[in-house]
Amino acid sequence: MYGWVGQILRINLTNGTIKKEALDQAEARKYLGARGLGTRLWIKEVDPKVEPLSAENNLIFMTGPLTGTLATNGGRYNVVCKAPLTGAMAASNSGGYWGPELKYAGYDGIIFEGKAEKPVYVWINDDQVEIRCAEHLWGKDVIETTDTLRAETDFDAKVACIGPAGENLVKFACIMNDYTRAAGRSGVGAVMGFKNLKAVVVKGSGAVRVADPDGFLEALTKARQMVRSHPVTGTGLGLYGTEILINILDQTGALPVNNFRDSGTFPNADATSGETLAKTYLVRNKGCMGCAIGCGRIVNVPDGPFKGFGEGPEYEAGWSYGADCGVDNLAAIIKANNYCNELGLDPITMGSTIACAMELFEIGAITEKETGRALRFGDAEAIVELTRQTAYREGFGDELAEGSYRLATKYGHPELSMSVKKQELPAYDPRGVQGIGLNYATSNRGGCHVRGYMTSPEVLGIPEKLDNLATEGKAGWTKIFQDLTAAVDSSGICLFLTFAIGAPEVAAQLSTATGVEYTVDDVLKIGERIWNMERLFNLANGFTKDDDTLPPRLLKEPIKVGPLKGAVNKLSEMLPEYYKVRGWDEDGRPTPEKLEELGL
Amino acid sequence: MAGQPLKSLRSWGYKEVSHLKVKFFALLRDITRVKETVDFTGGTVLELLENLCSHYGKRLTEWIFAPPAVGKKRELSGNVIILVNGRAIEHLAGIETPLKQDDEVAIFPRMAGG
Amino acid sequence: MAKVLMIDPGKCISCRTCELACVFKHDREFRPSAARVNVVQFEKEGISVPLMCLQCETAACLKVCPTGALKKNAATGALEVDDDRCIRCKMCINACPFGNATFDAVKNRVLRCDLCGGDPQCAKFCPGGAITYVEATSGTLAKKRAYAAKFKEALEVAK
Repeated sequence: MYGWVGQILRINLTNGTIKKEALDQAEARKYLGARGLGTRLWIKEVDPKVEPLSAENNLIFMTGPLTGTLATNGGRYNVVCKAPLTGAMAASNSGGYWGPELKYAGYDGIIFEGKAEKPVYVWINDDQVEIRCAEHLWGKDVIETTDTLRAETDFDAKVACIGPAGENLVKFACIMNDYTRAAGRSGVGAVMGFKNLKAVVVKGSGAVRVADPDGFLEALTKARQMVRSHPVTGTGLGLYGTEILINILDQTGALPVNNFRDSGTFPNADATSGETLAKTYLVRNKGCMGCAIGCGRIVNVPDGPFKGFGEGPEYEAGWSYGADCGVDNLAAIIKANNYCNELGLDPITMGSTIACAMELFEIGAITEKETGRALRFGDAEAIVELTRQTAYREGFGDELAEGSYRLATKYGHPELSMSVKKQELPAYDPRGVQGIGLNYATSNRGGCHVRGYMTSPEVLGIPEKLDNLATEGKAGWTKIFQDLTAAVDSSGICLFLTFAIGAPEVAAQLSTATGVEYTVDDVLKIGERIWNMERLFNLANGFTKDDDTLPPRLLKEPIKVGPLKGAVNKLSEMLPEYYKVRGWDEDGRPTPEKLEELGL
Repeated sequence: MAGQPLKSLRSWGYKEVSHLKVKFFALLRDITRVKETVDFTGGTVLELLENLCSHYGKRLTEWIFAPPAVGKKRELSGNVIILVNGRAIEHLAGIETPLKQDDEVAIFPRMAGG
Repeated sequence: MAKVLMIDPGKCISCRTCELACVFKHDREFRPSAARVNVVQFEKEGISVPLMCLQCETAACLKVCPTGALKKNAATGALEVDDDRCIRCKMCINACPFGNATFDAVKNRVLRCDLCGGDPQCAKFCPGGAITYVEATSGTLAKKRAYAAKFKEALEVAK
């Protein structure tokens, strides 16, 4: 095969069997790879009602047909399983070098079944695959685990592993690869921890081949030129990282502040901005395999209480620990983010859950008796210490480890969890950016910005500027963004490319790489198919249209300060239209005609 | 006063300054060397931008304006985001958006992230 | 005038695009283990160094080759392997003090940078300017200027 390498590894951790299976070519054409194909393979084999933390919940690592090639940023893979945080399908996307290495070893993906009796890791060296004891690694953080495993196997091997958070079944634990890249959201790390699977170590000496090398070179060269010459991908993201967004969201008045309670603007936002980071702690920028952007931040805080070397924060972490917790101490944000990398936690959910706890404390719903400390917005020391405690489920960390929804519900205020389908919302207040609210509400994996990044047209003016306060037309835009994103995620390339390139460039690279002729319409149709497949899973799993909503605060309480003072999200004006453009009935169920059209 | 930086007037003891505040971000700060200024004025966004460009020179001009075309009105490059009091000028009157006392104008290079 | 590959690790973003571009040019497939350039990563320090053959003037590999399989391309200055003459003794690999020649067991051949015949793809695709292909003197002068600027700063402070 071209693009795909044509083989899947199936490892049963209960009985220790390892099988190599041919990739189903028809399914691969229909669902591409990574998020799409991974989800398809999960749904085919597992009961949707399965408990997320059970041996029956398959854990799938899947690359895409462009992963490991010179395509615009083919460094990516997805982890698919039923998510402990949400009960929805998790498809967590990560970069780095691990995904490409898996293909060089000869596999498009790995399906993990069952549960090991004792901690194990898997060592894949081309066609030699072994399950090895990992008892000596249990309890170790991501850096030490990675170092130890490379010393035990091969210095050039790539490691994907969990930290203590995954071992301790924290509901939003990540899987980390290449030290600092994360399959971040929905708690895929807890599923890995439940399976007693500490790490997957890969080294490959093989090749990814493409169907039409000349055509592929032409397509990727054109796409790379667009990426290099675009102000966002060619200049801004490399220089300032994603944290560049802090100031524009603040100036627009759509920056969520103090658990969305005091949203609008954050008084000292610039102290946590990408500009400030570049002038203070930034060492240099970094990219994933084949990257032409380099948005990663290598940072060093040389001294003080938050001293440390690491990577990040990117915008979401900079906001969740920053404005959302009322903290403007950049060194503390970096330290908390470093803990997330080292211990294996999703910083969006972690920061937001701390913010939720801060509000619960300020209204008196929880006290020092539960938290062990005063916990008010603006407490820089708290974000660092509570992150560490959460990974180990120490003290109050044990409650934070369940995420904001379960925490707020336990103390009688579910409305203070800023989440959709129990997954915490990212850094754009939907009261000030209407379309992103519709995307949050309808996202199949719960609160998420990278399922349909409506902020791009609504705030940043890419590909064109839409009015962030208008609701008209947002349903159609949201659908296109969600569908294109699903196809991009499933190709194995980085979503950030789509600031510079569009569906034509994705289609050209896919076609020449795989030898399957994909038109622009095909690419969008594949995205739509994936979206509907995820939706069907959610419906089979008990989700209804009532779950397509936002926290009541965002629908009722107006933004308090700044240019958008007075705004609320008008979801009810957009949702019925969204169902309509999706070809779903009034209850948000895909119609039989739609399913037939999509071949589902 | 349009077209003149107010700094010099102030050094002459001129007190009646306009309270138009202009903020710069990201790469633009490397050109202006300041994060914000109250030294410029203009009746519209276009006038303000022209005043800024005549002071800060070619580098800022290239960011903000499209290369001049014969017989055409001056147009933005598309590489900047301009907010007046937090509202993108696309949803106001574009570069003809009138400015008044105490308005805040924020200018960003085109940016994105996630 | 001869052009040389110049490396500036300070600009390397660790993306390994050079490896992919290199192997695709030579083999029309993506197999980084057969790339003639490697990005050596020091993750703990956040430093990455791209390395490839430096085309030594009095090259150790050339001296130890028993069959004369290494020949200088007059146009580019690159030492190229004649696969027909090469007996795979791997002496050149052992002789290179930099580890810049390697052996590809899959295709049974010695791998070394041949400057892509004068259009090195690593430099062409490098997104950060960490690898450039420039006139020898202008390349080194740029480096000199950067260091001279540091002297200048130091002297200015001293004033």
